[in-house]
Order: sequence, then structure tokens, then C-alpha cells
Amino acid sequence: MAKVAITLQVNGESHEVLLEPRKLLSDALREELRLTGTHVGCEHGVCGACTVLLDGRPVRSCLLFAVQVEGQEVTTIEGLRRNGLTPLQRALHEEHGLQCGFCTPGIVLTFEAWLRDHPEPSEAEIRNALSGNLCRCTGYQNIVRAIAKAAAEGRT
Amino acid sequence: MKPAPFDYHRVRSLEEAFALLDQYGDEARLLAGGQSLVPMLNLRIGRFGHLVDLNWLQNLAFVEETDARITIGALTRHARLESAPPPVHKGCPILAAAAHNIGHVAIRERGTLGGSLALADPAAELPLMATLLNAELELASSSGTRTVRAREFFITVLTTALEPNEVLTRASFPALGPREGWGLRWLSRRIGDFALVNAAATVSLDTDGRIERLRLALGGTGPTPEALADLEAGQRGAVPDRDWPDAVAAGAAERVEPHSDPHASAAYRRDLVRVLLARALRDALGRAGVEG
Amino acid sequence: MTEASSFQVLGRPLPRREDYRLLTGSGCYLDDLEIPGALHACFVRSPHAHARIRAIVTEAAREAPGVVAVVTGRDLAEWTMPLRMAPPIEGLQPTETATLPQDKVRFQGDLVACVVARDRYFAEDAAELVEVDYEELPAVTSIDAALAAGAALVDEALPSNLVAHQHAVHGDPQARFERAHRVVEARFAQARQTHVPIETRGCAAVWDEGRQHLTFHVGTQVPHPLRTQLAARLKLKESQVSVISPDVGGGFGQKIALYREELTVAALARQLKRPIRWREDRMENLIAASHAREDVVRTRTAVTAEGTLLGLELEIREDFGAYCFFPANYLARVVAMILTGPYRIQDYAYDIKVALTNKCGAGPMRAPMAITSWVMEGTMDAIARALGLDPAEVRRRNMLKSADLPYEMPTGERLEDVTPAETLEAALQAIGYDGFRSRQTEARQSGRHLGIGICTVVESTTYGSAFYKAAGIPGSGHESAWVRIEPSGAVNASAGTMSTGQGYETAFAQAVAEGLGVDPAEVTIQLGSTDISPYGMGNRGSRGATAAGGVLYLAACAARDKALAIAAHRLGLNSTESLRLRAGVVEREIGGEWEASDLTLAGLARVAYLDPLSLPEGMEPGFEVHRAYDPPPMTYSNATHVCEVELDPETGLVQILRYVVAEDCGTVLHPQLVEGQQHGAVAMGIGGALYEGLVFDAQGQILTATLGDYLVPTACEVPVIEIVPMHTPNRRTPAGIKGMAEGGVMGALGAVGNAVNDALAAFAVTAERQPFTPDLIRGLARQGRQDG
Repeated sequence: MAKVAITLQVNGESHEVLLEPRKLLSDALREELRLTGTHVGCEHGVCGACTVLLDGRPVRSCLLFAVQVEGQEVTTIEGLRRNGLTPLQRALHEEHGLQCGFCTPGIVLTFEAWLRDHPEPSEAEIRNALSGNLCRCTGYQNIVRAIAKAAAEGRT
Repeated sequence: MKPAPFDYHRVRSLEEAFALLDQYGDEARLLAGGQSLVPMLNLRIGRFGHLVDLNWLQNLAFVEETDARITIGALTRHARLESAPPPVHKGCPILAAAAHNIGHVAIRERGTLGGSLALADPAAELPLMATLLNAELELASSSGTRTVRAREFFITVLTTALEPNEVLTRASFPALGPREGWGLRWLSRRIGDFALVNAAATVSLDTDGRIERLRLALGGTGPTPEALADLEAGQRGAVPDRDWPDAVAAGAAERVEPHSDPHASAAYRRDLVRVLLARALRDALGRAGVEG
Repeated sequence: MTEASSFQVLGRPLPRREDYRLLTGSGCYLDDLEIPGALHACFVRSPHAHARIRAIVTEAAREAPGVVAVVTGRDLAEWTMPLRMAPPIEGLQPTETATLPQDKVRFQGDLVACVVARDRYFAEDAAELVEVDYEELPAVTSIDAALAAGAALVDEALPSNLVAHQHAVHGDPQARFERAHRVVEARFAQARQTHVPIETRGCAAVWDEGRQHLTFHVGTQVPHPLRTQLAARLKLKESQVSVISPDVGGGFGQKIALYREELTVAALARQLKRPIRWREDRMENLIAASHAREDVVRTRTAVTAEGTLLGLELEIREDFGAYCFFPANYLARVVAMILTGPYRIQDYAYDIKVALTNKCGAGPMRAPMAITSWVMEGTMDAIARALGLDPAEVRRRNMLKSADLPYEMPTGERLEDVTPAETLEAALQAIGYDGFRSRQTEARQSGRHLGIGICTVVESTTYGSAFYKAAGIPGSGHESAWVRIEPSGAVNASAGTMSTGQGYETAFAQAVAEGLGVDPAEVTIQLGSTDISPYGMGNRGSRGATAAGGVLYLAACAARDKALAIAAHRLGLNSTESLRLRAGVVEREIGGEWEASDLTLAGLARVAYLDPLSLPEGMEPGFEVHRAYDPPPMTYSNATHVCEVELDPETGLVQILRYVVAEDCGTVLHPQLVEGQQHGAVAMGIGGALYEGLVFDAQGQILTATLGDYLVPTACEVPVIEIVPMHTPNRRTPAGIKGMAEGGVMGALGAVGNAVNDALAAFAVTAERQPFTPDLIRGLARQGRQDG
């Protein structure tokens, strides 16, 4: 119940933080580390807006406690920025795959990982994988097109 | 919503976990994937003074295959079951199919076999698989280990034979025979939602084309996944003609007593049993080499 | 107005400038704002749908760790004014709503108290310690129950739960019914729905005690109207309040009203003299933010044997919930007003009853009039089925053609520059309608059940002040803008609206660039702050492009005129006729050819600011133009949606096989943004038709309180949407803009609804209540089979 001191490894940097065990990773990233690119949409694991990478795998940061991930590497949307826009981010921009942008970081991180495992996806496979990220603005069509474009670019 | 306060314990061995469970009893809860537990904590539907984090027990994450059985450690993630090498497809492809249907990508990266079985949601995929195949589940505590068959493990909604101080450590499934077909059909409102009804079957035929071995299980139709043991036994020796799947499914539909909720009425669930189990049986026959 | 084909930058798919920050996680939404020292608010909410508050005990909560204050309705009554919703409209009951209830709670999730603490975790812990003594009252959970004699009163200041009743008769429908060949009845009902923006509500209030000034940060569609209300409710002067909207993660109509939570946070900031912030969680958002669409509708149509419409009667019953944050008649009234849409009919009557119930209050949700098109188009299908006619033919027979325009609808609405017949033909052709019936018959023979649904939408997009006046609604439809050319030639512009994802920073830069004659990259659009933007009515309905895009275009044109006047003066010309601005350079027509002069916008700006004595006689120094624009009373755009579905009668599942939209929304600022709006609107309509519905039990307890139960479509539920653009300009609006963004919801509800019923026709049953769940469809198919 009292606060505990842990070290969080995020985007290649080490951070010493003091927080309660119940503090969600999503909140710790946003508040302790001031990385506000990870968005909170539901806190019950459905909307996917809070998705980050944990040791390179997409996970819901609202369903993890910060204390759980000590010793593992967390990547947030800010962690991608070091090298400019990724092909997926560029494709989303070109295909108008975002409107309000609130769901976007979760989608980008999910697919940065997923495309590595599925370099030649069909549209149906893309939609199936995308179904874990809710978007209320775009109707998904342009997002799907952008992901397919990024996959194709990755193959050339 | 934010969870109520708790103390967090990261264990490095099963023995540590046992000790904490012995010490804190009902106040302690095991944390594996957290994909069901943490939403409950966030919504303050459940609260526990002590969370015991099992995620660092790497020796509980494994898949071992022999010709006869597949043994899977409780901490194995759904994503691993779904597709990671070595593919589980070889020995028990129905498990991979079931795992692929669980939730969404990010859920499958964390959710575990042990967590899913211990939670015992009546519509969940892996409890259905365990019931279908009557998996052998190993339960361990400071007092030792015991094995419980899946068909005795699920007691009622979200309730299993696990004692408060026990940890489910592994589940062992029979491999399917070379000519054993399988079928898995479900209906959910959207992709990734819990199924309203889940129907699973395996079937193998003898050299005369009669049913040699039949397994049937349903999810979402009662407080636990249901194995249709009397139908399984009664159909042995039957000739699976074109109407056989419908007849079996009709028999199953008569046996279940489903509930109603905002997503589906009891009558509809019963209808789904008839439709989905018949389709699953046709799929299974097809995979067993039966045409038409 | 300018010819569409001669636009320089309007209509080009320029890359969105919002994207870089949003893609990289460096946008700034409300909860991203860093406000040093801010405390966190958390609301105690009623677990009961209807109950008197006998006592609230807050001692334990006050003493909990990290807690700074716990307040109730009594405190807020001292610090704030109640909301009086009493527009002078016949048949509408006036209502008054306290900031926090004192006497009773009216829905599960209603507000009872507010806890302020060091962080949200502590605040939630303390909220659990607030003890409330409730005396439960009977819960009114349906329209019928609300209107039944002796029903418990939701608002005890009203004589009954009937909060609005409107009816009108145009022409003589009764006579038409008496002489009709057939009278066809049809029914339609929608479940209660909610907006589900992925970003929930929230706000942060900072009170400057020294200046006695409130800065209110909130994701809002309407910064100025919100400021006006906030100041009034807090008993402050309007100049003591600034409203600033950061990036907004979706609004859809949910971020318009001044909510009680927001007002409470603002009042607390002033009382405690500490900054206070609030982030709504998703459960609150589903239960207690704003609900919409729970309508039951019936039509009766008098028709000839050939299916020509003679007379139409419309009856609407709406479940408005417990509180009126909007006038209770407003939403249903628009349905009644535009129902006849694209059809030739003059004898029309409607009757609308709106009831209060013990559920969260209703508000506008993207296309508040969404049910309109399903009702009208479903009625046309019902007529076709009753008479054994082709549904497309029945529509053709009755639809307005260009020769019929301008057409005055029976309700007085004027339709011109709309093209429903053209979009109908284009959509039917694109989906291959002619071959469909034979495909449907063939498919049925192999046990597959296909259906096709047509829905023509005439969408009221932009409401001018004349509309409000005629309707007796206080309010204005105008929009304002300023355009300022800085001494360096950089262009800044602003309008009184705010984006919630529509890409206004990009599209409006195009409108300004077009009017002025510069490269859009030189234009920066500033939105969202009441200190910076001129007073405007905000972003609601589909008015963005017409009202704000329109006024920015007009202001930019005026700025261009000033620039050319200065240029003419410098060139020694006595008129600007032979001058134009292109990409910031003044061009002069010499001998039929346009040539660049050496005058640039930057150079002209420098003169205006730094050398005003060189300006033409009588011209003011500086280079800022302000304009306000009141659009025509109503502007319409139109579209036809056609979709093909397959029904599995065994499971009741509906799959959308193809979805086509032929759309005419006039001059398009940015085609990619317009398509994106169509995709999103259709997706929301599919949600309403097949998936979304808030479910309550008999005690008013909500059974769908998480995103696992309230089902918003995912990428697997939305098909590919094929769009056929067919844009004809409106002759009365700047640049011929018509606006759009809600018609897609209307079209999808209707097209999917009609397609499912077309497939069900084989079973001689009709689905009348959306969402068309598998349970419902399976039950109907089974019943149809049993009935033979």
C-alpha cells in the first residue's frame, strides 16, 4: 500500500520512480514519466488506446501495474520518434488514417510489432488484428489501407 | 476507474507463491496475464490485499509434445499457443484454433493458459478445450501436487476445484490421432468478443466408417463448459450419414439449460447449439476424411 | 460565387498538418496538460435509478488520505446558478436543473457529491467512504411507463413526464387517406445509444485569484457558447472567463453542453483557490455523459396503386432521459421537419411526444435526426412490398427531380441545388442493382439469403439564424472569422469553432488560401481559445465547412480585396480589375496574359503596418479583416446509400457484402477529409443498425456499462465503403459549400435496415427494432418459417 521505489526502463532510458503498487502502467507513463502519448480510453482492456510494447510485444498498459514491468523494456509512441516517422506512421499520414488521433498511438505500436510477425498480410488478417483497437472517427478503411501500404513498403 | 490499494509480491519460485497463499488465504490473489483480473480490480468489482505476481516463473511457460500428449505450462501465453514455433498445430491443432480466437492481439500476448483455466469463464475458449479433451490439470501447493481431470475441475461460474492455497501449474492434453478430425464453431457479436455459444467436437472413425471416438463440448450454455458425455458414449458405432450431425446437435440442444442476458436469450442460445454443433461436427468429419 | 472548376486550392487533398503531432504522440489532449498543483475531482454517483436523498455523510471521506474537500448540492447551490431550459416553444415544458441534485437522484449514475483529492486514486478511495441515505422511488424506464397515468414523476416540477408535445398538419392528409388506394403502416425503433468518443470527457479549471479570472480547459466543440454559459452559471462576468480547448479526441455531439461535472469543477477551483482537474472514466462516460436516439416511430402513408405518395402521417415517441441539457423537442423536431426529404408530398402531419424517464439525459449524437432516412426509406420499401412493386421504381416515381427544384417541403423547408435522383441512379448503378433480383433468387435456391437496401438521405447540414427564428428557438446560426496578414506576410486566421478530429487546421487553411490567393502552407489556423477566436457558434451538426469554412473564405476574399486595393494604388491603377493574387504574388493582366508583378503580399503587409501614409486615401492601417456570416436558413446536402447483405437465418448474423455511397455535398474543401467523414459516419450508422444499444433492467439499472457490453463496431464489422463523389455547388453559400458529416449515419441506418428487411421478405417478416441483433433476426426468421 505504501509507495515502492522501482526502476522503469522506457524507450531505452532508465527512470527511478516512487509509486504505489496499484498504479497502472498507463498512469505511471503519463504522470511519473510525463510521456502523454499513451492514451487512456477505458481502463478495462477493450479499446486499445493504451497499447505499448513490452519487450517488443504489444500489451494493454491499462492492464499492467507499473511495478510488474520492472526489469522489462517498455516502448511507447515517443520511443519511435528518435528516427523520424516510421513507414507505418508515414502511410497513416498519406492515407488519412487518423482524424482525432486519440486511438492512433495504440494502433501504431500494435502494428509496428504485428507487421514484423506478419509481413505479407491479407486485408482480412489486417482487419482481424486491428479489431483490438477501437476507432470512432475513421471507419477503419484508411487505417487498413495504410497498414497494407506499410507492409508492402517493408517488403521492397 | 482506479483499483483499491494492495501489496504486491513478485515471486521467483513456486515455493514463494505457496508460502504467500498459505499466509494470506482469501486476501491473496494470483496474478498471471491479468487480462481478466485487472479489469475487475480497476472497476473495483474485486479487491484483494495481496497480489502475487507469477509472471517471473519462467519454468511454468513451456510446451512439450510427445506423440501421445501435449503438456503446456500454466504461464504459457495464448500468443504462443496460437502460432509460435514449435507449432502446437502438429499434435493438437484445435488448441491453436481456440487460442487464436481469444480476444485480440494484445490480450493474447499476456493472457495465460493457467489464468484462463483458473478464471473459468463459461464461454472462454481454453476451458472449453480442456473440457472437450478432458485435460489433466496439475494443481500444486505447499502440501504437494494433485491431478484433476478438467471435467471435474470446473464447478460453476468462475469457480473451480482449486483450493485457495493452490496454483495450477500445467495442463496436459491428448494429441489427436492421425485421422481424428476436429471442429470448433462459435458465435460472438463481434470478432474477439466472448462467444455467446461455443461448440467443439473431435471425431475418429473405425475402418468400417463408424464412429470410433467422439468428443463433444459446449461453452456459454451453462455455468461451466459442458461435456456431453452421454452423447459421446451413445454415438459410438453410429454411422455418420448426412443427417447425423443435425441429429446429434438436436440431442445436445435438448440437454442444455442456457441463461438469458442482454446479448442473447436462452432460446437463442439453444438454437445456436443446434446450429453450431452440427457445423462443428461437419467440420470434424471433413477433417477426418469423410466427404459430403 | 466562384465556379467549382476554377478553384486553386479548394478541393485538393493536401496532407494534414495535424498529423505530425498526433502520430508521434505529441498532441495535447485535456489530460495531457500539465497544471502544477492541480487537485483531482471524483464524483459520487447514485447506484439507484430513482431515489430521494435523505442524507449525505461526508466525514469519513473528508478524513481520508489526500482529500482536500467533499461538496454536495447544497454547496453548489450557493456558488452557482441552476440551468433553466425554457425556450419559448409551444408544447415544450420549461425545466430547471440544479448543478448537483439536492433532493433526489433521477438515474443510475446521477451526481450526488464531489470529492477533491491529491490524485484520482485517493479521490476514488474517498468517494467510496461517502455515505448516502437513499429512499428508493419507483423507476420509470420506458416511454410507455413514463406516459401512463399515475406514473412516478421524474421531474416533480412538471405536471407529468410528457416534457414536449408537438404536432402539426400540413395540407389535408386526412382527405388523402380517405381516397387512397392503400394505406401502408410501418414501424421503426432505435435503441438508446451513446457517442463513445475514444477520449472521455474532462476539464481543468484554473482560478487566478489576483485577476479574479477563470481559465477553463476543456475539450469542447463550442468554446464561446460554453464560456457564455459558464460565466452566467458561476455568476461571473463573461470577461472573467476564458475557455481553451486543447486537442479533442472525438466529440460527436457529446462535447457541447456545459455539464454539471464541468461546472462543479469550475466552481470548486474558485472556492478552493486551487486548480482542479477531472477526467471522466469510461464507465461514467457510458452511464452518465449523454445518451441519444431512443425513438419509436410509426408512419402511415396513403398511396395510389402505382405507389405514388398522397399523404403521410408521422408519429414519434422519444425517451429523453431524466434531465434536459438541450430543449427536449429539438431532436425529434428536426426529424419531423425534414422527413419527407427527397419526395414530392404536401399533405403531411406529425405528432411528437417526448417523455422523461429515469435514464441519463439525451443530447445530440452525430446526426440527431438519424432515424429520419430509415423511416422515410423504410416506408418506401413497405409501400413497395405492399403493392408488389420494385423499391427503386417506387422511389423514382416520387423523387424530386431537378425540374421540381426549388421545392418547398410541406414544413416550409426549401430544397434547391440537391440531387437525390442523380445520387439514386449513380448508387444503384454502382452496386449493380439491375442484376440483383436474379442473383437474389438464385442465391435463395442454394440456401443463401441476400438482401439489398436503398437509402436516400437529404441532410440538413447548416442552420442559419432564420431557421432558429422561424422555429422559435433562441440562438444564432452565424459564424465569425478573422484573417490577419502579419508584417512578414504570414497569414493567421481564426473562426469561432473547434475541431474534434475533422482536420479544420488543414481544410480551413485551404479556404483562407483560396480566398486570399496564397499557398495554404503560409496560412495558420488558430482554433479553440475564446481569447483568440472571434465569437462563434462552434462545431455541431455538419456546419463546419459551410459556416466556418464559408466565413473564413469570405474574410479571406475581403483581405484579398484590401491587398489588391493597395497594389492598385502602388501601381497607379484606379481599379483592381486587372489584378489578382496567386501564391502570394500580385499578378497583372496585360494583353490577355497574367504576369507576375514585383508586388508580394508580404510587401503590401509591410506597407499596411509600417508605412500607412502610402496606403490609398481613407484606408485604415494594419491588415486584419473580420467577418461574420449567417448562412441561409438551411443548407442541404444529399446522398444515396445502397448496401447488400447476407443473412444467415440459422444464426441471425448479418454480413454486409457491399456498401456504396453516391454523395453530393457541394463544393468540397478537401476530398480526403470528406471521404474520411463518410467512412466514420457510415461506421457509426452500422453500429446503430446492428450492434449498439444501452440496456436497462426494470429497476433502471444499466446492464451495458463497459465497452465489452456496449458494442462499438471494430474493423471487422465495418465493410469497405465505396464512394461515388458527385458534387454540385450550392448557389447561396460561399464557394458553393454544402457541408456533410452526419448523412452517413442516416444513410447507413437506413440502407442496412432496409437490406436486412429485404432479405427477411422471403420469410414475410419485418425487423422493426434496431439494433438487429442475431437473436432478433433469428427469432423473426424462425417465426416466419413457422407461419409458413
